[in-house]
Amino acid sequence: MRVGRKIALVGGVPILVAAAIAAAGWFLLTQGERARAGALLAARVYHDLTLARLVRDDFVAARADARAAFETRFFDLTDRAGRGLATLQNQARTRGQAERAAAARQSLDRYVERMRDFSAVARENDGLIAEMSRRASRLTDLAEQARERQQTSNVDLAWTLTGKVNRLRATRDAVTGLNAVLAAAWQLALARERGAPPGTERSERTRLVHAGRDLAAALRATSRETEAAEAERLTALDSAASDRLTEWGERLLKIVTSEQRTLDDEVAQLLTYAGEANATEQATQNIGITTLKLGQRTAEALARRDAEAVSAMLGEGERLSASASALPISPLIQSEMIEAIDGWRARLATTVDGLKRQNAMIAEMDGLAAGLSEAARALNDDAVEDADRFGTFLGQLLLAGAAVGLLLGALVALAVARSILVPLRQLQGDMIALAADPKAEGLSGTQRTDELGDIARATNFFVTEIGRRERALRRAKDQADNALQDLHQAQDDLIRAEKLASLGQLVAGVAHEINTPLGIALTTATLVRDETRAFQGLVTAGTLSRSRLTHFVDRVGEGSQLLCANLTRAADLVHGFKQVAVDRASDERRRFDLDVWLGELLASLQPMLRKGGHRIERDDPSGIVVDTYPGVLAQVVTNLVANAVVHGFAGAERPGTITVRVSHAGSLVRLEVSDDGGGIAPEHLGRIFDPFFTTARSHGSTGLGMHIVHNLVTAKLQGRIAVESEPGRGTLVRLEFPRAPGEVERTGTARRPAGAQAP
Amino acid sequence: MRRRARDRIGYRVRAAATVAVMLAAVTGASPGQARTLVYCSEGNPESLDPGLVTTTTAMSAAWQMFNSLVEFAPGTTDLRPALAESWQVSDGGRTYDFTLRAGVRFHANAGFTPSRPLNADDVLFSFLRQWKPDHPYHRVGGDFAYFRDLGLAGLIEGIERLDERRVRFRLKEPDATFLPNLAQAFGSILSAEYAEQLARRGVPEELARAPVGTGPFRFVDYRPDVAVRYRSFPEYWRRAAAAEAETVEALVFSITPNTAVRLTKLKAGECHVMAFPGTADLDAVRTDPDLALVSGEELNIAYLALNTARPPMTDPRVRRAINLAIDRRAIVEAVYGPAGTVAHNPLPPSSWAFHRDLPEPPFDREAAARLLAEAGLAEGFETDLWFLPVSRPYNPNGRRVADMIRVDLSRIGVRARLVTRDWTAYRAALYGGEPTMMLYGWTSDNGDPDNFMNVLLGCRAAEPGGANLARWCDPGYDAAVQAARRTDDREVRTRLYRDAQVRFREAAPWVPLAHTLVHMAIRRTVNGFRTDPLGRTLFEGVTLTE
Repeated sequence: MRVGRKIALVGGVPILVAAAIAAAGWFLLTQGERARAGALLAARVYHDLTLARLVRDDFVAARADARAAFETRFFDLTDRAGRGLATLQNQARTRGQAERAAAARQSLDRYVERMRDFSAVARENDGLIAEMSRRASRLTDLAEQARERQQTSNVDLAWTLTGKVNRLRATRDAVTGLNAVLAAAWQLALARERGAPPGTERSERTRLVHAGRDLAAALRATSRETEAAEAERLTALDSAASDRLTEWGERLLKIVTSEQRTLDDEVAQLLTYAGEANATEQATQNIGITTLKLGQRTAEALARRDAEAVSAMLGEGERLSASASALPISPLIQSEMIEAIDGWRARLATTVDGLKRQNAMIAEMDGLAAGLSEAARALNDDAVEDADRFGTFLGQLLLAGAAVGLLLGALVALAVARSILVPLRQLQGDMIALAADPKAEGLSGTQRTDELGDIARATNFFVTEIGRRERALRRAKDQADNALQDLHQAQDDLIRAEKLASLGQLVAGVAHEINTPLGIALTTATLVRDETRAFQGLVTAGTLSRSRLTHFVDRVGEGSQLLCANLTRAADLVHGFKQVAVDRASDERRRFDLDVWLGELLASLQPMLRKGGHRIERDDPSGIVVDTYPGVLAQVVTNLVANAVVHGFAGAERPGTITVRVSHAGSLVRLEVSDDGGGIAPEHLGRIFDPFFTTARSHGSTGLGMHIVHNLVTAKLQGRIAVESEPGRGTLVRLEFPRAPGEVERTGTARRPAGAQAP
Repeated sequence: MRRRARDRIGYRVRAAATVAVMLAAVTGASPGQARTLVYCSEGNPESLDPGLVTTTTAMSAAWQMFNSLVEFAPGTTDLRPALAESWQVSDGGRTYDFTLRAGVRFHANAGFTPSRPLNADDVLFSFLRQWKPDHPYHRVGGDFAYFRDLGLAGLIEGIERLDERRVRFRLKEPDATFLPNLAQAFGSILSAEYAEQLARRGVPEELARAPVGTGPFRFVDYRPDVAVRYRSFPEYWRRAAAAEAETVEALVFSITPNTAVRLTKLKAGECHVMAFPGTADLDAVRTDPDLALVSGEELNIAYLALNTARPPMTDPRVRRAINLAIDRRAIVEAVYGPAGTVAHNPLPPSSWAFHRDLPEPPFDREAAARLLAEAGLAEGFETDLWFLPVSRPYNPNGRRVADMIRVDLSRIGVRARLVTRDWTAYRAALYGGEPTMMLYGWTSDNGDPDNFMNVLLGCRAAEPGGANLARWCDPGYDAAVQAARRTDDREVRTRLYRDAQVRFREAAPWVPLAHTLVHMAIRRTVNGFRTDPLGRTLFEGVTLTE
């Protein structure tokens, strides 16, 4: 195993153990917390359910108008319990709990459902009971009405009866009167037949007449006017009419007797009816009272929710209905009464049905509520138990975890330390041995996969690499030395080539400079020859004239003068160039006047300038005499002027001006070559002395000019060189060199990498 | 309600609405306060099955619920279409094709809801059950006396269903009384569907106990001695499209046998129409500002039948003696008062067949005694005299009539023992031929002379159980009456009936007592009520002002 891992292991095991304990602890704490919250929730659900049950009992017992509040309260409570159960279900730790909570929720839903049903039935029943009570009260009213009607009717009946009795009495009087008349008539007839004394007969007659009058009165009392008159008439008649009287009397007697009997019957019937009517009145009143009692008892039974007792009321209602319909009470009221009772019964039956259903619902709800409470309690117990278990478990876990962590950490640390230290010591020994003898065998333990193996392998590699590098360095040093030599050779070659190149330039310049005086001299010589030939011809021809001679002399004189001047000039030029060329080629040190030398040099550069029409300006003569290398200096100035022309004025629209100044700079001589050309870009400025750096390679520039300049200035002249330039403002190159350089050759500087500015 | 009262203008409606509002406030708009018309009727209907009823009391109870194929326009004896909207007579008066009215609804009750309107099956059921002895309903409830007594069983050859709405009656011989007979109560059309349902349920007797018909009122309940209750039938085929505010919604026959009590109830407003006020009370009714008297001639006869099957009434001399011995004028005077006229014949004088040339039978006690002596009963004899236990339109007081007859008879030595039973038993005894002398009466069912002459005195009706209470069968008389029936020639018939009346007078099976005007006392709040010559008490179209 790798050391890192081991260290991680050593550090990590306790950390991990601690983290695991912390995580487990956190988890347990959370769980415990949740369990405790669950317990609280379950307790609240239990409380809500218990309260809901009480509220439901209140609802059941409440009056119809007071129910709504209890109902709302009930649904609030069950709603809250339902939410509690839902939370419990969601937070359930075990499936069992979740299922229990879910089952409880279902039970609760059913419970609430039942309650809604119950409430609906209760409303329905309330409506029915209200309707029943209206009907019962209507029935009582009706019974009272019926009784009153019956009473009125009974009073009427009493009057009718009185009338009939009076009529009966009158009729009976008429019958009695008729019998008296018939008896008197019979007595009279008997007296006549027997030949009774006149006194007797008269008295019988008088009796008959009186009986007749009595009868008439009695008949009048029965509204029998005709018969009354007839009675008076017939009884007042003489005896001859007695048969008619008898006949009449008997006929009337038949009628009146039958009427009397009819009246007897009628009175008897009326009396019977009156008895019945009284009984009816009583019964009607009883119906009212029974209704009242029944309503009262029914209401009580309903309040007690005693379905059996209420059912018994149904039977009583049926009896009441039967007695109401059997009574000969006013049909106007009777139908209504029967309908009221039947309606009452129908509603009562429905109510009983509802009551039974309600009772069943209460039982079911009680069952559900008990189950629910049990479930809530079980959930609570579960949660409390869980919480306790989590607490205990947490304590144990902390203790055991800490112990295990410590032990494990210690063991692991020991093992790891051992596994690291042993190979390290080995490595140490090996390395010491290796240091003592680099050629010795490599380190042991390279086969290990851990960091010690890495270290062994790395050390091995390091030792090998050091050897290899050493060899490479040696080889590189040799190569570098060779290259340096090659470089020196090449430099020399280059410088030589450069020199030759500038020499070529010089030659070209010389040729050009000389060409002019030589050309003039040639032309003049030709003219002189031609003049001479012409003169010879004249002379030969003898046509020479004085004037001609004069003219010829003048012309030859002029020509000679011209020839002398031009040839002198050419000779001067050649002399000058010879010096320059010598300087160049000889590379020798000499003492010379800087102004003169510069004049000659610049003159040799004229052809280069003339192409572009550029000018060189010079300061006043400085009178400085130096003892240095004129060839080197000439090459430097030539290169600088050439650079000005080639780079500074490249692409310029107008002819440039190169200014050359010479001045004293302390012990040094300062030579400044400046131009008013395009300047050097700043990015190029730093690299200007680098070999082969050029911006005009396409124009055949080698990029060695300034490098050589730098080398020559610093190496040969032992001076320094600086370039100042700004794009568009021209370039100033400043040389400062001693008047007479020392003899010491400073090779070191030449080998230094090229910098922007020589020191 | 208030809006309704505003919408309409009539004071009465507004008053009714106000009453309804008040009642609704009291009862919570229960259906109890329906506009109820109470008829204080004179007795229990013996049945509610129109095929079984024989009294005008029961017929009136039935008429509220039923319709026949053809009917007598109320208050007249004119036939008009009823459940049959038309009919065709063909084959020389032997074939009657009836076309039934479409869409006639039957009543529904607690156990039955009709699934279809009236059709030919109902007509067939209504008649076949009376006609065919093997019909499942033939033995249910009792004896179809009318159908039998009218001889329809022998007259009808076949009843056929032509299609859903057409029924054909084929007769063995032409019969002038056929159509008027069909207009009688027994011709009422019952629901075959209901009967089938009852048979399936095993309670065929319910057909008479909870009748279902097509009439203006549907049956609610019947409690003997208390009331028969009806409700207006909203789907009645003849009901006016827009129900009037005063339409009677509930009808009660409040059974009140005692005339005095009836009047008391009427005066107290416990009933709105009262049957047959007592003769002595007519003036009192007339003078009462709340009451009115509705009178009308009725085609009726009150008679004393002499059972010719029981000695000594087998002897025509005895029967004639009895006729002579009874002072009918005294009876009419005392019992009927101005409402009665002395009867000469079985036919009322307003009948076209009434024999006006026959003199009024005399009251001659001596002649009577002589005839008795001739018959060998000079000492007189003892007999029984049955009197009506209830007041009838033709006899307001049977007992009193009987009393007077008894007195009259006692004068010729005939000692009559007065007997009566309750109304149903009384009729049963009479139809059973038990009494020797019996008071009874008849109100024409159809206005036809045959309805008196044949139904009450024909030979067929003389059979046990028949309406010929005298059990008198005179071949000559019967031949005349039957001949008169087979023709519709009024002259021929008149002649035949006159002949029959002469024969009746000779044989004297009855003592004809009286014809009456019928009186009904009503409260003035009742509109549209009228008496009927056929003794029907009809409440269709009667309205009640609260």
